[in-house]
Amino acid sequence: MSSENIESIVNRRYEHGFITDIESHGLPPGLDESVVRAISTLKKEPQFMLEWRLQAYRQWREMTEPTWAHVHYPPIDFEGISYYSAPKSDADKPQSLDEVDPKLLETYDKLGIPLHERARLAGVAVDAVFDSVSVATTFKAKLSEAGVIFCSFSEAVREHPELVQKYLGSVVPRRDNFYAALNAAVFSDGSFVYIPKGVRCPMELSTYFRINAANTGQFERTLIIADEGSHVSYLEGCTAPMRDENQLHAAVVELVALEGAEIKYSTVQNWYPGDENGVGGIYNFVTKRGDCRGDNSKISWTQVETGSAITWKYPSCLLRGNNSVGEFYSVAVANNMQQADTGTKMIHIGANTSSTIVSKGISAGHAQNAYRGLVKVMPQAHGARNHTQCDSLLIGKNCGAHTFPYMEIKNPSAKIEHEATTSKISADQLFYCRQRGISEEDAVNMIVNGFCKEVFKELPMEFAVEAQALLNVSLEGAVG
Amino acid sequence: MKQQNLAINELREAVLRMPADRLSATRTAAIASLKQNGLPTLRHEDWKYTDLRPAIEISNQWLAAGANNTASDTVADAIATITSSLDANWLLITNGVIDTSHFDRGASIEIARFSDTSAPPLADKPLADLNAALLNDGLKIHVHAATEKPLGLLIIDAADTGASVSQVNIEIKIAAGCDAELIEYQASLGTQDSYCNSIISMQVEESAHVSYVRIQDRRIGHTQTARQSISMGAASDLNMASYDLGGGLIRNDLDIDLNAPHANVVFNGLYLAGDGQHIDNHSRVDHRVGPASSSQEYRGILNGRCRCVWNGKAIVHKGADGTDANQSNHNLLLSDHAEIDAKPELEIYADEVKCSHGTTVGQLDETSLFYLRTRGLDRRQAKQILTHAFAADLVGRTPIDMTRDTITALVGARLAVLIQEELL
Repeated sequence: MSSENIESIVNRRYEHGFITDIESHGLPPGLDESVVRAISTLKKEPQFMLEWRLQAYRQWREMTEPTWAHVHYPPIDFEGISYYSAPKSDADKPQSLDEVDPKLLETYDKLGIPLHERARLAGVAVDAVFDSVSVATTFKAKLSEAGVIFCSFSEAVREHPELVQKYLGSVVPRRDNFYAALNAAVFSDGSFVYIPKGVRCPMELSTYFRINAANTGQFERTLIIADEGSHVSYLEGCTAPMRDENQLHAAVVELVALEGAEIKYSTVQNWYPGDENGVGGIYNFVTKRGDCRGDNSKISWTQVETGSAITWKYPSCLLRGNNSVGEFYSVAVANNMQQADTGTKMIHIGANTSSTIVSKGISAGHAQNAYRGLVKVMPQAHGARNHTQCDSLLIGKNCGAHTFPYMEIKNPSAKIEHEATTSKISADQLFYCRQRGISEEDAVNMIVNGFCKEVFKELPMEFAVEAQALLNVSLEGAVG
Repeated sequence: MKQQNLAINELREAVLRMPADRLSATRTAAIASLKQNGLPTLRHEDWKYTDLRPAIEISNQWLAAGANNTASDTVADAIATITSSLDANWLLITNGVIDTSHFDRGASIEIARFSDTSAPPLADKPLADLNAALLNDGLKIHVHAATEKPLGLLIIDAADTGASVSQVNIEIKIAAGCDAELIEYQASLGTQDSYCNSIISMQVEESAHVSYVRIQDRRIGHTQTARQSISMGAASDLNMASYDLGGGLIRNDLDIDLNAPHANVVFNGLYLAGDGQHIDNHSRVDHRVGPASSSQEYRGILNGRCRCVWNGKAIVHKGADGTDANQSNHNLLLSDHAEIDAKPELEIYADEVKCSHGTTVGQLDETSLFYLRTRGLDRRQAKQILTHAFAADLVGRTPIDMTRDTITALVGARLAVLIQEELL
């Protein structure tokens, strides 16, 4: 590859970086009880929510920031963050897509997400979270016909308080960890899904997240409840505008699968990773946990992580029900100065539970990519089965790939296997491809896609295509 | 969890009663450091699974009783049994006291006490302070040339009348191009609790080849923290095998530094744990320069109420291209009350590397058990055969041939008891 060519690729700017100049009305930076109260009031929440938030806030005050992750970043000024921002048209929320602020739709167009077309063509209901307030929800009618509730979290708090009160915090308790507690205190909005007994959700549910207003941490909260014998596939994807200041994102996702239910949760994360010198970029400190509460339930996490300056994320499964199944398929790409510390926890509690972990980490540039996982088999979890495969691919001399797998086994009938390998793209492989007339960049993409195939095949169709393209874009300039 | 503290004042008094010698300054510095840093607790990532409170309790009991170690009469018999079963050139450390009476001074090996030369500087490692503060004396061993018999280190702790605490510190240097064989044997006696805190550091110089066998056959009342730091020179080899058969609370830390190209390290370990045992093996290999290779395999058999920990860490530093590192750990979990905590870690900062790890936890294969039972064996016999087979592979990997019979016998005896313990 000519050096000019490399130069142009290396210097390519983040394609999705732009700022929509929608006037946002938000709270001034800083956090105290009055901010928590203000958020709750703005969202017209019932008393129980306010109390829940306040308790979380008080607990958060007493907690300290975790430092165990294999990442380095300057201290976060929690007083410098504005904890609420919303598009101005909040007061009279659009009832349909036609009423949506054209500037918003323009934003989605720039991102390559023509909302209504995409929604119609792909048969996907999109609950788009733009900054902190949901502005459009489609296909509601079709979903409500099936009895499925798919709405913004704020709406769920108002319309279905009994469900929210019953399940909120039941998987990720308020004081679970520092960032989960912060989220519980100030979360602005998110998605809520309830699939009734025996219902197979008629379409894949999808949310697109965007971070937009400067200095605004996004604190989404997602709660998905799959009642007995139901099935749902949920897609989460995101991009973010270019910005020079680090932005904190501390989301919480809670999944509850009751007896015989199945939840498939897929994520493509492509937030702004910062520039080639590590300036800017999103801090992505997320708590995601699924609870296989009923027998024969299943929760499957699939993630493609290519964005964010720092990722700190461990989608986990509590395998409580007998015969419950947990899965985790992950591709994490870190290029330039990105740092990723990601993995999963599989906690085997019920009998005959099984879990599968497939993690593919790719490091390039000066990036550090760590897999951190826990497989825990409790004494009562007879017949537990786990298979873990975690592979790392290194591209370049200055990056790092790390694995920190913990296995805590307290039952003799457990069968646990863990395998890990680390390698680089070999000169032989590249030579073979180039000999066949494939350019170096295409060859690398091909090899990397092959390396990730096991995970990509778990993604829903629309995401699989997007993920492959994203991977190629993320690794541009990594090999020369 | 409340951490019981080491009785620093009593410790200082015990140190003051020790004779003034070349170690005195280090002892004083160590007390200050110990007072400031304390001992690691469960809150330290490296000590997450191993609680040092038994070591602190024994130390405090021992300090309260006047910090005396009284070697029992039976020690001589035990020493005779061990030294006659393995034909090595033995250096003895009994309750922390160096005894060179069984050692045959020759031209190939030079030994010197710390008190006659100098004490090493205080290491920045957990428990190094405690070691330096209470160290009676240490030993420097310099192996110049290949010897006819392996060098033997017999570390024996006896506690008959009260708790016993001992510190061991040995520095070994293997000269360039030298072939050396080393046997470390750890035993204990008596009915009271004992605690031994040891540091063995070894420098393997260019093109030297070292075979190292470590046998730990302590009593259930024994607590131990042992750190081995090995530094490898260019084109040097280390082939090491560890056998942890006994002990109440055992924590082994093995640190290996690959500082020069073409070094090659193989270390394997077997741990057998039954009721009341806690065996923790931590290893850390620093690949600083490549090409070099490291390979480890640890196997564990756990029965009864016990807990084992295996933590293997390989760090490939920036520029250590050509590193080949692999770790594997396999565990047989035979009881409802046994727990294994395994953690194979890789930290890699270079790209021309091949690194892998594999860990398994499982049981005896039911099909194999069935096969043996169809041949007329009862379930216990069948289990014994399969368990022996699981261990035999590692027994066979001892790098010093003359130790094989002893290890086979010790492992066989221990396994017979372990399988017996099981409620069928």
